[in-house]
Amino acid sequence: MITKVAAIAWREFSSTVLTKAFLIGAFLIPMLAALAIPLIVKFTNEAKAPELTGRVAIVDRSGAVLPGVERRLSKEGIATIIAETSSMVQQQLAAQLGEEAEKWREQLDNPMVAAAIAQGFGPTPVLTVEGQPDDADIDALRERLKPMAGESTDALVGLAVIAPDAVQRAPDAEAFGGYELFIRAKTDDRHIDLIRRGLRDAVLEARYAVAGVDAREVEALTSVAAPRTKEITDKGDAREATTAFNMMLPFVFMILLIMSVMVGGQYLLTTTIEEKSSRVVEVLLSAVSPMQLMTGKILGQMGVGVVMLAVYAGVGVATLVAFAKADLISPEKLIYLGVYFVLAYFIFASFMAAIGSAVNELREAQSLQTPVMLTVMLPYFFWLPITRDPNSTLSFVLSMVPPMSPFAMVVRIASTEPPPFWQIALSMAITAAFALGCIWFAAKVFRVGLLMFGKPPNFKTLVRWVRMA
Amino acid sequence: MDGITKTFGEKVAVRNMNLAVPEGALYGFIGPNGAGKTTTIRMIMSILFPDAGRLSVLGKASAVESKDRIGYLPEERGVYKKMKVGAFLKLMGKLKGASGPELDGKVKGWLERVDLGDCYKKRCDELSKGMQQKVQFIAAVLHEPDLLIFDEPFSGLDPVNMRLLRDLFLEQHRAGRTVIFSTHVMHQAEQLCDHLVMINKGDKVLDASIDEIRDQYDPRTILFSPVDPAGANAVASLPGVEAVEPSEGGFEVSLLNGTQPAELMQQILQQTPVSKIELRRPTLEDVFIDIVTRDAAHEADEASLRAALRAGAAEGAPA
Repeated sequence: MITKVAAIAWREFSSTVLTKAFLIGAFLIPMLAALAIPLIVKFTNEAKAPELTGRVAIVDRSGAVLPGVERRLSKEGIATIIAETSSMVQQQLAAQLGEEAEKWREQLDNPMVAAAIAQGFGPTPVLTVEGQPDDADIDALRERLKPMAGESTDALVGLAVIAPDAVQRAPDAEAFGGYELFIRAKTDDRHIDLIRRGLRDAVLEARYAVAGVDAREVEALTSVAAPRTKEITDKGDAREATTAFNMMLPFVFMILLIMSVMVGGQYLLTTTIEEKSSRVVEVLLSAVSPMQLMTGKILGQMGVGVVMLAVYAGVGVATLVAFAKADLISPEKLIYLGVYFVLAYFIFASFMAAIGSAVNELREAQSLQTPVMLTVMLPYFFWLPITRDPNSTLSFVLSMVPPMSPFAMVVRIASTEPPPFWQIALSMAITAAFALGCIWFAAKVFRVGLLMFGKPPNFKTLVRWVRMA
Repeated sequence: MDGITKTFGEKVAVRNMNLAVPEGALYGFIGPNGAGKTTTIRMIMSILFPDAGRLSVLGKASAVESKDRIGYLPEERGVYKKMKVGAFLKLMGKLKGASGPELDGKVKGWLERVDLGDCYKKRCDELSKGMQQKVQFIAAVLHEPDLLIFDEPFSGLDPVNMRLLRDLFLEQHRAGRTVIFSTHVMHQAEQLCDHLVMINKGDKVLDASIDEIRDQYDPRTILFSPVDPAGANAVASLPGVEAVEPSEGGFEVSLLNGTQPAELMQQILQQTPVSKIELRRPTLEDVFIDIVTRDAAHEADEASLRAALRAGAAEGAPA
């Protein structure tokens, strides 16, 4: 009896896991993707901007900006802009990493990092600023911007028309004027940024001069240091407020659960349909009862889900350890994840087995499968509200009502405000009862469905079969 | 089987079936397509469950408890396409309760016997349909069951493999195993079985040994070709003759009830010289068609006919 179920489970497991398709699909492709993403990011970041040599025409109708632009778009001026940009990137990185930044401060401040960021800008563009009279023929200048106008180093790459009131407000006006910028097509966006930055700084500088304020003073006045938010929890300890890590962990838990449940369930559906359509099912039924067959199949595919879960959760834990964030995740959270995997899997697998036994081919399974799939997709919509407030009424209700409960509860458990134990226990009890009901339903449908060929059934037919069996 | 009935929706697949198959017998289930043979067999196998009636298999209330002692080759048979032949057979052996180190040897031995010795490591979908059928036959007998049930075992086989399978079949029977098989090809049943169960439209219309059937469907027709065609008139006036009608290359004489065919033949010979005279032996097919058409054409006679058949069957049927 048990050996028979075990034999079926093993066949189910080995015929799924020990195939090239599974190894490639489940591990190799995600692994390659994981490796490829940093590579692609690195590649795009390191793709150097092309060399740029050319002239930038300035029609300075305000009459106060041109010298500043000339200075800022000179070789030294551009170098300063690049250095400033690098240090800004470094600061943003530090802010995003939160507490981690302290540990990484040294590395971030490393001049090598700055150099690397600066390298992204490629060879420093060589720009010559060409002052134009106020009444210059804009159309003629624009004509010179056309890419076909020649690739010579003298070609015009940019044209800025600075408004007359860019530095001094027009009487009664609230806002200052700006400038119009025309750029030759296909200019690298990093170069455009450089030119804009130079123009902006030059305009600001002119305005400060007119207003009689010191530029550094303005910067100091307008920036407020607000490094990190600390949360006071009920235990009284100050903790950094929802950082990326804290938001991501519940999401990762949920994705892990959905993925491992779906993989096993999908394979269960396909193998059941295959057994039915290849007519091997009656041979099997001469040796085992439908219940034994279903049990073996469900357990075998559960093994597949466990393999997925173990591998990916293992990678996840390893990542957390690497980021010194291992304290976010406790063994008991992993145990809860395991328990909810089993419960969610049984619910999902029951429906998949029932559907697989009822139809003749994969195509027919689609319409029956849709409602089941939707239930699994629902958690995606609720992930964010639950993470934001893991103890809201919505979170509580979702984590109690199957078939959503495993996914919702796992998100709550992984959040920074885990629910009290009694809620976990209650949710597990409700879900387990629901899972048993699903298995009962599936067993009935399975028994009748396996030898039914012909018209694909709908849910009404399935219910009739349950009454029949 | 005792008063077994199975309905699918409106359709009655098997109606009030009573049947007993003694141990060691070789039974054939015959009937046209859709007659209820497969449904009957599936109920014996506990794959389907009857709506009414009782049934016992190998002394147990249902085959569920004795599945390991039954070998079954279903009509709807298949294999795991991607599985190796050897692995498939070992899986089937395990599912049938055979295990241990000798299983592998047995699988190889059987594959040799059916000329598939080199297929152990082949994938099932590399085999032809007939080869797959032989593999399935092995799956049915591998665990040395006491009861073997084959549903349409010969369909789709070439004559050579059909003979091979038939020999293996008879060998199982000689080894003392109970064998039940179904077919819609009557002459196969006639050649193989010692007892026949005929099913039509869910009813058992016949349940008798081959000999009984021969006796019961005693030839009531004599075929003869007189040297002089005028001799036929003389025959028609003989006592015990119901009618004489011309037929292909001669005349057909139908006999009145109670007439001994042997005596009548002597009398015919005395009346007129013949170039040929013979008793027309009914084939199983004749018997079957006879029963079925009578069933359909004369609804009124149905009950009495069935009663007669049952009485005849009950006499001969082993307890």
